[in-house]
Amino acid sequence: MDISFSEEDLAFQRRVRTFIDNNLPTGMALWTKRSEWFKALADEGGWDVPKWPKAFGGPDFTPTQRYIFDLEMGKQSTPPQLPFGVGMLAPILMNYGSEEQQERFLPGIRDGSVNWCQGYSEPGAGSDLANLKTRAELSDDGTYYLVNGQKIWTTLAHIAHWMFCLTRTSSAGAKQEGITFLLIPMDDPGVEVRPIITLGGSHSVNEVYLTDVKVPVENRVGEEGKGWTYAKGLLAHERSGLAGIQNSVMGLEKAKSNARKVAVGEASLMDLSSFKHKVGVLEAELMALEFTEMRTLARVAAGGDPGPESSILKLKGTEIQQRINELNLEAAGIFAAPWGPEAFGPDFAHGATQSYLGGRATTIYGGASEVQKDVIAKNVLGLS
Amino acid sequence: MDLAYTAEQNMLEESIAKFLSSEYDLDSRKALANSDLGYSEEHWQTFASLGWLALPIEEAYGGIGGDLVDTMILCESLGKGLVVEPILPSLVLFGGAITLAGSESTKQSLLPALADGSIKGSIAYLEAGAPSDFNHVETIAEQDGDHYVLTGHKSVVFNAASADHLIVSARTSGGVKDLQGISLFLIPAEAKGLSRKDYPTVDGLRASEVHLDRVRIPNANLLGDIDEGAETLQQVINRGILAISAEAVGAMEVLYTSTIEYTKQREQFDHPLADFQVVKHRLTEMFIEYNLAKSLCMKATMLLNQASEDAQRHIHALKFLIGKSSRFVGQNAVQLHGGMGMTEDLAIAHYFKRLMVIDAMFGNANIHLEAFTG
Repeated sequence: MDISFSEEDLAFQRRVRTFIDNNLPTGMALWTKRSEWFKALADEGGWDVPKWPKAFGGPDFTPTQRYIFDLEMGKQSTPPQLPFGVGMLAPILMNYGSEEQQERFLPGIRDGSVNWCQGYSEPGAGSDLANLKTRAELSDDGTYYLVNGQKIWTTLAHIAHWMFCLTRTSSAGAKQEGITFLLIPMDDPGVEVRPIITLGGSHSVNEVYLTDVKVPVENRVGEEGKGWTYAKGLLAHERSGLAGIQNSVMGLEKAKSNARKVAVGEASLMDLSSFKHKVGVLEAELMALEFTEMRTLARVAAGGDPGPESSILKLKGTEIQQRINELNLEAAGIFAAPWGPEAFGPDFAHGATQSYLGGRATTIYGGASEVQKDVIAKNVLGLS
Repeated sequence: MDLAYTAEQNMLEESIAKFLSSEYDLDSRKALANSDLGYSEEHWQTFASLGWLALPIEEAYGGIGGDLVDTMILCESLGKGLVVEPILPSLVLFGGAITLAGSESTKQSLLPALADGSIKGSIAYLEAGAPSDFNHVETIAEQDGDHYVLTGHKSVVFNAASADHLIVSARTSGGVKDLQGISLFLIPAEAKGLSRKDYPTVDGLRASEVHLDRVRIPNANLLGDIDEGAETLQQVINRGILAISAEAVGAMEVLYTSTIEYTKQREQFDHPLADFQVVKHRLTEMFIEYNLAKSLCMKATMLLNQASEDAQRHIHALKFLIGKSSRFVGQNAVQLHGGMGMTEDLAIAHYFKRLMVIDAMFGNANIHLEAFTG
């Protein structure tokens, strides 16, 4: 066992750092020059799609390189890609889609010209996702599905061009059966998007109403009735991506520096033992979680499964994100209260409230923490 | 980066598991803990013949030259069986101090004998004045020509009764709490003026209060540089923390897995306990606590192994996390075993008590959280 990086890995780390120094837009340009950043990543040899396999244009990183890549990108807060296309739909198309579908959809996913949203959750199907009711009926001539139903919590549906959607094509058998995976264009006249404003005052999730939407059978991924199997694999993918461990490592450092700037009596908030100890407990757990991710990567590197430890990452990672948000909220003190476009008090205070409020979602989406515990109990600990 | 065990390390793990399953069931362990000696000299010789005692000792002194990862695997594996033989005090602490600070001739005379199982040692560094501070040293060593004369009282010296030699910290200059001015001395167990009050500890092990009344030892028995013993002590304690953390990881693994087995079998309200979601979630949380502790144990061990600047910080974080996670896993193991968890008949109670003492050793979770946060 050896924790140090090899010469090759260190060289790779230098290469990533140099790349970021040379290409990462700074300040406001971060937003206006996003596409140039992703173009530069692509030109480096598939760095825009670090998790894609080589056959589809990915960089074929070793697990250690993946770790280094995520670490360095996380440290510099590089702009993230929207996860729905690149991270979530693409692996499904690669594994279960037809060649035509891969050729039709992957390029737009990769260059960011086509936005996707995920049509999974429904009013009656949250953590119990397989309970979904949106109906897709095959036409008599077998050329299209007629889709009727409602999706909810659909992130960024209001800017999406397409939705990948779980629909029910049969009610026979277990509820996991009879689910079909369809790709639905959002400009269809039968698609209506209504915004939901969440706790943090922001609009990112929506309701999507589907009324007599005609979806050609070419837009079905894989076989009819097998959608649950495809989506389940994707959920595991989604969950490991939600842990956000490197972001938390950076976020905690920032929270500490914020707290050092907040005066309490003659000292700073960081000198208050109740606060300092909360930071210490969090930091020790985060160090342990970070290395738990390493153990997962190392197993994959050795040709194995991610292993039982990987199941911990989403559950614990999102809890830690929330605790970091809490530290910032507490550091903001009364300046957590002013609400609106204008900022008052310490520079971090304005964002702290929004992060705290919006961040409550992290232990709910992608399978609520309680469901994650059920999953670990069943799949890892062998409890039925 | 490589987190896989070598073939030798896998063999070590397997041979310890084999030894434990054939020799170390709960009744055997209880019998050893209740015996006069408190452990088995026969087992100790088995450990020697299997090469476990030679593992951390350098090849130049009759050892195998294993690293801290090897010691981690040794202690984690032995922790699964609640082994009572004095690996920690003799091999990790005493052997560690000799390796770190001993002169060439001291190493030549002691390390091969530790490796082949012919001698044992322990380290007497704590005093009643401050149960967590190794720098609190009231014991005095005064030079008298070619001898030092030591007087004082050292507390909770593990397995002192079976040690052939003790390493004792004593003050040669400075105030009671100064880091500077602490010196280490090698003292034979039979030295005149050395007396012990032996007692069992709650986890089935042995310890002693050691009294030094004008104990005269030759100048050559000074271990390392005069007044500079604190650095060696800190290093030895770091190794001790890694060793007991690995032991705790092994113990926690047994606790959470055996609690899963128990709750699958035990039926109440016409269902196995493991069918109840509140129980499933508790078991999941135990599994997570165990895994986080194991992760940090591996990382801290590897960092100290390569003498990283980050090692000390990680060791503080580790000892804190071990205290926190082992309390959670231990308490919930007892809780989920219900009334049976309270009895001495089940292994659960014995793991619980061992974890309780591990948290108390070398500074508990509070002390290390404080050191970690600075």
